[in-house]
Amino acid sequence: MMQLQGLSKAYAGKPAIVDLSLTVHNDEYLTLLGPSGSGKSTLLRLVAGLERPDAGRIFLDGEDLTPRPPHKRGLGFVQQSYALFPHMSVFENVAFGLKNRAVNPIEDAGQLRRKVEEILELVGLSELGSRGVGQISGGQRQRVSLARTLVTEPSVCLLDEPLGALDANLRERMTVELRRIRSTLGVTFLHVTGNEAEALAMGDRMIVLDRGRAIQIASPDGVFNTPETVEVAKYINSYNILTGETREGRFLHGAAGLAMPAGVADAASYVVRHDAVSVLAPGAAPPDCGAGLEARFIASEFMGSRVLYFFQGTEGEILQVESHLSTADPVTYQSGEVRTLAWDIDEVLAFDASGRRIKQPPAQGAH
Amino acid sequence: MEQAAPSVEAPRDTAAPVKERFFTRNKHFLLLAPGVLWMVLFLIIPLAMMVYVSFWTQTTFAIKPELTTKSWETFFSSDTYLGALVRTLRLWLTVLAITFIIGYPTALFIGQFVRNKTVQTVLLVACVIPFWTSFLIRVLAWRPMLGKEGAINIVLSDLGIISTPIESLLFTELSVVIGMVQIYVVFMVGPIAFMLARIDDALIESARDLGASAWTIFRKVIFPLSLPGVIVGAIFVSVMVLGEFATASALSGRKVNLLGNIILTQVGSLKWAFAAVAGVILTIVMAVVITGLLRVVNLRREL
Repeated sequence: MMQLQGLSKAYAGKPAIVDLSLTVHNDEYLTLLGPSGSGKSTLLRLVAGLERPDAGRIFLDGEDLTPRPPHKRGLGFVQQSYALFPHMSVFENVAFGLKNRAVNPIEDAGQLRRKVEEILELVGLSELGSRGVGQISGGQRQRVSLARTLVTEPSVCLLDEPLGALDANLRERMTVELRRIRSTLGVTFLHVTGNEAEALAMGDRMIVLDRGRAIQIASPDGVFNTPETVEVAKYINSYNILTGETREGRFLHGAAGLAMPAGVADAASYVVRHDAVSVLAPGAAPPDCGAGLEARFIASEFMGSRVLYFFQGTEGEILQVESHLSTADPVTYQSGEVRTLAWDIDEVLAFDASGRRIKQPPAQGAH
Repeated sequence: MEQAAPSVEAPRDTAAPVKERFFTRNKHFLLLAPGVLWMVLFLIIPLAMMVYVSFWTQTTFAIKPELTTKSWETFFSSDTYLGALVRTLRLWLTVLAITFIIGYPTALFIGQFVRNKTVQTVLLVACVIPFWTSFLIRVLAWRPMLGKEGAINIVLSDLGIISTPIESLLFTELSVVIGMVQIYVVFMVGPIAFMLARIDDALIESARDLGASAWTIFRKVIFPLSLPGVIVGAIFVSVMVLGEFATASALSGRKVNLLGNIILTQVGSLKWAFAAVAGVILTIVMAVVITGLLRVVNLRREL
């Protein structure tokens, strides 16, 4: 179990990580979602020991790691650029840590070979041990980088945007692979990413980082369905966020007054998921338990199993409507056509002026 | 109709463009021509001439194009000339070793420890500042430094470290080595610093993270990756030191004769055949040295 307590780090007075505390359990896949500049790479570098924190401590199984140099921490760090040694073969790269580590290196050539071959097999590169790292593909390089770290049996493996440099096809395959490799070895992964889909799909738990602070730590399901703050809702990239103010039980967004979920007052942001919005037929009124907003159609995007429709509201904001083709056929709208977008008010999340979610009575889960 | 059209045009198509295609196809050779011409005129022909002349017959005042191996026999049976060859090789190895020992740490500092690119450039330019004065002045400036009443002896005796001046500082092989190292060390620093600065920090961080100590990282990652720089530096230094004559004569009082000095004196006394022999030998030595150095790393792959 790894604990971070009150970690802070600033670069030239600019805070990168602010008073961050976090517990990482054994044998878990933890994803860390943050936009660029949120301090996610800094956090990894602090944990790995490549940077020193200004304040705070890092404990691993009760031992204080903070004063230790990187090579004595027993953690693994998979660099975003893979950072393979260009003058060594795949085998030599993977063997590097075992052979050259300051603590307890493996001298016996047979044992070394066995361990390296085992891990190469796990990542599916058994045949490539003798290749130079310049002679393998990007996806293979990533596996070598992963194998090189995992073979040293780190207690926590830190991955800095491990899928960032892969093309979409490979990215999807590696998503499954990473989870399989992790559960086979039972090692804890701390996976940093800027991609919300990746963070949601891969993590047992996920952390959302914003301007150096952890703004939500929960299961992907929890983060997705009940974002703690409006920033989280923004990073999940599945919510329409309307700003305005509450007056007399209605949410005023521009000229429109939207119905509010019961028991909510003082909302400053009114948030509804892309797939909870539907486009009404011309002339139809929103149902009694719903709310509606007029918007102009801009474009649609066919995604295979679903269609995204983009509308522009009266305040210039973009509203997305996501329709799954299993429930509805794609519809063609005229460009500039004005339609009413409607949703069930039970689907609405409200956030106060400071961005915190306003707790709602549990009527929400009724559907 | 559509099918007939190409066959009508076909003969015209093949006749005219053949000539044109020959030029298009071989245009790149045209680009090569000036370079090749230059190299043939000023490298290949002179080299061949040098080998040819080394077999000419040399008399005291004349040289005749009658082939003989006499000059070669003289060279290899004379202690003076063989001694010069051995001395050249010894001096070359000494200077090469010292420039590496001084140059590598300097380059390591500039390439790895200085994080700011501008400061790196400033430091590298600072290494070149001595070149703003002429070569001969730089060499001769060592005389008042190393001499019997030179700066070093004065400082040492004033400090009470020595009572009588050290005479072996000047006009010895030592002074030649000192002079050459000072002049050529920068050619070692430059290429190495360049290679070191190109090493991705992520590699060193990864090595640290994998548990390697600083010394292991240097041995297994940093040094191997800087090796192409070392080889390029070594080639620069070797080529210049092996052909040296000015530093040797200026700082040894003509006591240390290198192959370069021999060529100079032989040419001065119009012994062309003999100078050619020394020249051929020097060329062969350089070729062997460069080939050997290039064997160490595959420069084409590394750079």
